[in-house]
Amino acid sequence: MGNILLSPFRLMTPTTVSEAAAELSRLGDAAKIYAGGAELLLLLRHGIVQAEYLVNIKRIPGIDDIAVDGELVRIGAAVTHRRLERDLLVRERLPILAEAESHIGNIRVRAQGTIGGNLCFADPHADPGTALLVHEAFAVVAGPGGTRRIPLEEFFVGTYETALAPDELLTEIQVQPLSPGWNGAFLRIEQYYRPTANVAAAVQMGQDRIQDVRLAVGCIGPRALRLSEIESELVGLPLEEADQKLAGSKAYLAERLEPVDDLLGSADYKIHITRALLRRALHQASQYA
Amino acid sequence: MIQTAQLAITVNGKSWTGEVPVETQLLDLLRTHLGLIGTKRGCESEVCGACTVLIDGIPVSSCNYLAFEANGKTVTTIEGLETNGELHPLQAAFMRNVAAQCGYCTPGQILAAVALLQENASPTYEEIARWMTGNICRCGCYPAIATAIREVSEETGSRA
Repeated sequence: MGNILLSPFRLMTPTTVSEAAAELSRLGDAAKIYAGGAELLLLLRHGIVQAEYLVNIKRIPGIDDIAVDGELVRIGAAVTHRRLERDLLVRERLPILAEAESHIGNIRVRAQGTIGGNLCFADPHADPGTALLVHEAFAVVAGPGGTRRIPLEEFFVGTYETALAPDELLTEIQVQPLSPGWNGAFLRIEQYYRPTANVAAAVQMGQDRIQDVRLAVGCIGPRALRLSEIESELVGLPLEEADQKLAGSKAYLAERLEPVDDLLGSADYKIHITRALLRRALHQASQYA
Repeated sequence: MIQTAQLAITVNGKSWTGEVPVETQLLDLLRTHLGLIGTKRGCESEVCGACTVLIDGIPVSSCNYLAFEANGKTVTTIEGLETNGELHPLQAAFMRNVAAQCGYCTPGQILAAVALLQENASPTYEEIARWMTGNICRCGCYPAIATAIREVSEETGSRA
């Protein structure tokens, strides 16, 4: 406690994506990408991360834009949580994401923190990633050799670990809204602002049966992920049977999610909670159909 | 070889220009350079809210905010809320309701509440609780804080 000062660093302020990638390539490990700083400044102050250089990407034109491109919503990496929580276009087209964003930290963290920072930090205890997984979102990543588009599920590699190469930066997230006939839900339980467990569900109902479904879980294991095996088992089932299927999914969830005992609860408790949230989310998402 | 940044900011209605190292945090600029010690140093983790100030009306944790980011913007601290010696209605309501014991979190609580009422002139109790969740009061004055905010919203809030 008490006035933990930041060590001096040099601030680089590139104004194009390729300039930023070139700086990252040139400076290597000595540089860290700086956007909102909500997580990074904390880690720097506490000495958990060291940086001689901060590469401030916020001056890159368009990096904090929200744009509609055909059916896609393109979200710049430096868009803040507060904007995603409040933006009318996002609330209308990506309500699951807007809901997830509204739960992050507190009002100050949401004003400062960015979607790109959140995804790149890859803290498993995060909300936006879980919501974006049911949209099958893509991360657009730029490096010295050009850009590539990575499915978000592959972007998340593990705890605090992403598919970004050291000289790459996340520039944009591309999100497809749910098609007509689909509905979604995002649920979480939390302790001291941080989610203990979160789930996102998207369902297409038809003739009282599940036509298609996507389920994602965050916080429990090393990274947020989709539950593809269970999803395919639920297709074609009436809601009640799907619910029974989820009720019996404990062993599958434990294997798929790799929970550990920690201060937020035992592994068994986390699976219990996840299963309950999944059942609720499926129910909630199917009610609007 | 310290890198510095030129700043031109408006603090509590007065313009301030100066040069600070890029790693200077806003809290240190306010408390050490400008002598505005109403802003408190708390958890230094963006959790407690004691260091809350408003940047262009939006609450931020000044302990975890680089001062250079405030360039060209307006900063409001607790010292900037009074007008001609008269307390802001929220300051008066906090006093009237004894919404503080030790008072350490109070500047941050009041600034967070100012931002809340700017965004939502007549918040429900639940909306107050959700917005203010980022400002911790270890003395446990939450009911009085919520009452103070409700009173001001009833005085000035729209009924739409």
